[in-house]
Amino acid sequence: MATIKTEFEKLRSTDVWRTIFRSGSGSSNLHRSQAVQQNIFLHLFSVKIRSRALEFSATWYLGALTLSTFFVLIATGILLMFYYHPSVPQAYADMKDLQFVVASGVFLRNLHRWSAHAMVFLVFAHMFKVFYRGAYRPPRQFNWVIGVFLLLLTLLLSYTGYLLPWDQLSFWAVTVGSNIAKAVPLMGKQIRFLMLGGNEVNANALLRFYVLHCVILPLTAILLVGVHFWRIRKDGGLHVPEKKTP
Amino acid sequence: MDDNNKPGPLRSRPTMRELVYFCVISLVLLVSLAIAPAKNYFSEWRHYQKSYLAIAGQRQSGTLVRSFQGGLHQTWIAKLGVVDRCESCHVNLSGALVGASEQPFRKHPPMPHKLDEFGCVICHRGQGPATSVKEAHYTTEAWEQPLLPARFLESGCGQCHLGPLQGAPRLNEGRSLLSSMGCVHCHTVAQPDGNVLKPDDNPPPLTHIAEKTSREWIYAWIKNPQLYAGSATMPNFQLNDQDAADISAFLIAQSSASPASGTETKTVATAAPSANASIEAATLYGASFCSSCHAIQNEAGNLVGGNLGPELTRVGSKVNPDWLRRWLDNPSSYHPGTRMPHYRMDQKQVALLSGFLLAKKDNDYLANVHLAPASADSIARGKKLVAETGCAACHQINGVNPPQNFAPDLTLVGSRALAQVVFAPGMKHNLPDYIAAKIHDPRSFGPGLKMPKFALGDSQVDELTTALLAQTDRAAGFPKELIISGGRTTNYHPGGKAGRLMEDLRCLSCHAINGNGGDMAPDLTWEGSAVQHTWLEDFLKNPNTLRPALIRRMPKFNLTPDEIKTVTDYITSAYQSPALDLQPLDPHVLNADAAGRGKQLFYSKYGCQSCHIADYKNDKGYVGPALTSVGNRLTPEWTYNWLKEPNAFRPATLMPNFSLKDDEARDLTAFLMTLKAKQGGGK
Amino acid sequence: MTEDPKMQETKIQAEVQSDVRKNPRRIAFILRRASPHVKTQDDARVMTYPTALSRFVIALEVAFLLLVWISLLVNAPLEGIADPMHTPNPAKAPWYFLGLQELLHYFPPVVAGVLVPGLVVGALIVIPYFNINIEGESLWAKDRKRRLMIISAVLVLFCLFLLAYDVIVALVPTLLIGVLMLWSARFSSESPRLVQRWLFSKPLSFWIMSWFLIELTVLTVVGTFFRGPGWGWILPWQS
Repeated sequence: MATIKTEFEKLRSTDVWRTIFRSGSGSSNLHRSQAVQQNIFLHLFSVKIRSRALEFSATWYLGALTLSTFFVLIATGILLMFYYHPSVPQAYADMKDLQFVVASGVFLRNLHRWSAHAMVFLVFAHMFKVFYRGAYRPPRQFNWVIGVFLLLLTLLLSYTGYLLPWDQLSFWAVTVGSNIAKAVPLMGKQIRFLMLGGNEVNANALLRFYVLHCVILPLTAILLVGVHFWRIRKDGGLHVPEKKTP
Repeated sequence: MDDNNKPGPLRSRPTMRELVYFCVISLVLLVSLAIAPAKNYFSEWRHYQKSYLAIAGQRQSGTLVRSFQGGLHQTWIAKLGVVDRCESCHVNLSGALVGASEQPFRKHPPMPHKLDEFGCVICHRGQGPATSVKEAHYTTEAWEQPLLPARFLESGCGQCHLGPLQGAPRLNEGRSLLSSMGCVHCHTVAQPDGNVLKPDDNPPPLTHIAEKTSREWIYAWIKNPQLYAGSATMPNFQLNDQDAADISAFLIAQSSASPASGTETKTVATAAPSANASIEAATLYGASFCSSCHAIQNEAGNLVGGNLGPELTRVGSKVNPDWLRRWLDNPSSYHPGTRMPHYRMDQKQVALLSGFLLAKKDNDYLANVHLAPASADSIARGKKLVAETGCAACHQINGVNPPQNFAPDLTLVGSRALAQVVFAPGMKHNLPDYIAAKIHDPRSFGPGLKMPKFALGDSQVDELTTALLAQTDRAAGFPKELIISGGRTTNYHPGGKAGRLMEDLRCLSCHAINGNGGDMAPDLTWEGSAVQHTWLEDFLKNPNTLRPALIRRMPKFNLTPDEIKTVTDYITSAYQSPALDLQPLDPHVLNADAAGRGKQLFYSKYGCQSCHIADYKNDKGYVGPALTSVGNRLTPEWTYNWLKEPNAFRPATLMPNFSLKDDEARDLTAFLMTLKAKQGGGK
Repeated sequence: MTEDPKMQETKIQAEVQSDVRKNPRRIAFILRRASPHVKTQDDARVMTYPTALSRFVIALEVAFLLLVWISLLVNAPLEGIADPMHTPNPAKAPWYFLGLQELLHYFPPVVAGVLVPGLVVGALIVIPYFNINIEGESLWAKDRKRRLMIISAVLVLFCLFLLAYDVIVALVPTLLIGVLMLWSARFSSESPRLVQRWLFSKPLSFWIMSWFLIELTVLTVVGTFFRGPGWGWILPWQS
């Protein structure tokens, strides 16, 4: 154990290591702080955090859980893109290939699908939790609004992804959904046309949904998630309700 | 937590608990992630390939084991949309490993098509891309068409082969049942080449029904047609007494006078029906070959006769004697579309035959039918019922139009989505069983359904199901060159004076010409090229069978010499084949030398006597027509060309194509032309 | 760090002097009878690394682990290839839209498909910008009688509206929340039971949001499990 430790310390003091982790070795709070501040992924966190905000009852970790489903979705989604052609009827044949030929293809698709459902559910749960916790109050108003937009984005992501397998379930779910768009007064038909790239759910709609699902919506979501996290920090960290004065 | 507000350093190392949690969960996660690839590794098809290798190893088939290529095997045919991975488990379709009798290693019986041209699922159904037993063979959420049971397998053939196909008897029979049972009166069945199946049951018009029969008979008949005649095509509509009474009332009420009703029929035959007369009548019935089309139940209860016309076992209980005499005199004046020929019988023959038929009576049949007189209400209700029941889809009825799209279109019924199918309770949820049940007992699917119950045997139900299962959307999308159209029925009718005569004689009820007509007698499309004028005249005067194995022959129609000449002239001039090659046959070639060589070829090289008779003393061939007088009958040109390529003229002929050389055909022709009857025509 | 604004006004006076040499820097004068104690929320803090991060990572792993096991055990649905000619009955939207689809069953598309979701999104966005939501004052703290009247009237009208459209599914949660809401008016902050005090303390936004949550849940559950062919009632275990 001790040798591993010293070896690790040696490694940390090499020049190469130092070019990567500039904070250097050391176990002072300064080093800890720098480890967070100087890491692009961690710098969204503040260096210290209120211990009450970490209690399970404070957030139920719903935000963190949502984020983890989002990570799973990105990872599995990229893998699935290797096997998928957004064309009719190849899209459906690709589902069959995933099921029958691709190694662990079923697992991959299951993981993506269930994560997507889980994410929609968790986003809703997160929103209600934040509301009942009162965490939308100043100074966090704008972050709540971003949250609402992230909810919409999540729904759109899930909805666009729903069409991609091109089976009866997806086709008719999207048909039902897109028919709702027709009900918009004055320009319902135009909105639906824009959405589907045609007057009915067909190959154009599939391509459109694919691009939205794989490029536009995820990028927007990543951007907004970044802002969302950054705002948490800028708005004073995770919300902790006032303690009742004893 | 514990370092509340203290200026000292905060805890900076993970606690033991955090580390343990982290490590344990990470470990569980890693193990869980490994399960999916493991599942993949222990997949069914790998298991089957391993057991195949194990069996091959036991049998010491070292070469088989070495040459075996593991992994997924697939047949991919882009133009048919086929991705079949069946061979991943069924690795022994070729039978390389002898004696492996357990599935999935059983050897495939001889295949009519190559596996890599059509794959498996086009014929067998099931889910080709699937690599698990359940998904490949059965109905699942993602795949509705399970593997076809063997008894419906011929439906696979029927997707491309739209006409009769040798080796697929169920399919052929099913298709002809669709026409002959009249299914296609109500249901549309279109084939991928655009051919729409046509009914072939010739239902009688009911516009003058009151002249033909009584209301009581109609009542009894529509209540259960099979009670009157076991072989009746008309289905049982399971009408209740009231409905049947009302419908019969309406049918009598709507009946109008037929053009024939004016003709006076002389009651010649009233002169004492002697025993002699009844023998004479039975002889006339036989000589007119009525039994080629009509059946009569004999004492043993067996039906004797054909099924082109209605069964006559109880005809005396059905028809009005006056009507029968008028009918025998000239059927088409009552039913212009009838298939019954105009026999040109004289009054005496009509009287004899009608007397013979009227004696075919079942006195019990209508004994219990007592109907209240028809009221206006009853007639009105009957009309409504007739319209609702769809009687006019088959029968012509005054005042009721044939219903349009009365029954579901069955063009794509063989791939109907199960979601669109309403199953009866307790039924297996698959398409073949559904179709079979629907044909077998349509009313079992619930009250209020219109389809009547047809009198079909179990095998007929399976045959019909096979024919319907061939109507798939997959076939509709096949490349055109794969589709092999059947003989298309045309609307051909001979024209002119001879044409009118031939119509009157209903030649097309038995003979086909230019793709229209029956199949009871030879196709006459190229008859003009085939036969000699004199022979045809003799034949029409006194028809005789050419085939020694056949008892049936063409009836004698009592034609006048003028009529015979008209028909003969027409046939010999109009029905000429353009494909006939007239070049190599000038009369000099058909000399005695050639005939000698031809005789050699006939008896030794080609063994023609095994099917044909050239000489009654020695030959025993009963398959083909007798050739004893073929020199009188056929033209040399036809004989020559026919010998060279028989199926060019009649695709369905049994005569093999021997690929004769030109001179061989010439010599054989020369020989055959020497076979002449002693005195024109006859045996 | 919240400060009582009243205290600031009355007991502490701020003064800012620019000349540092003349006057020592003063930030505030503490007036008579005032305490220098400032209410802050100075909670205990921990370092993000390792305490917070380790928890996040573990949460992430647990979520992933659960998803992996769900994916191993339950296969994602896949039906036959899309076929525009054959409409399944019923054709259902994804589950999170089934609440809307259930509403579409009752209301014209403009209402259920455009107006309702539009209003919901709009309402969600403006929540933090209304003082009434921020203060979170009990609904019955002031004006109890007038509010009771208004709320009862609104409730009755809304229920009648739902009844007129035969929306029993939405009516039941509305009645539930409405009854609880009116019932809570009987309590005060001195009520003997904790539940009563808790119910009494809730602001209007709480009631509306809870109503929305229950409606959303009920409509979605009904749409998902209890609707069959022709959008008729069906029990989930019936095929």
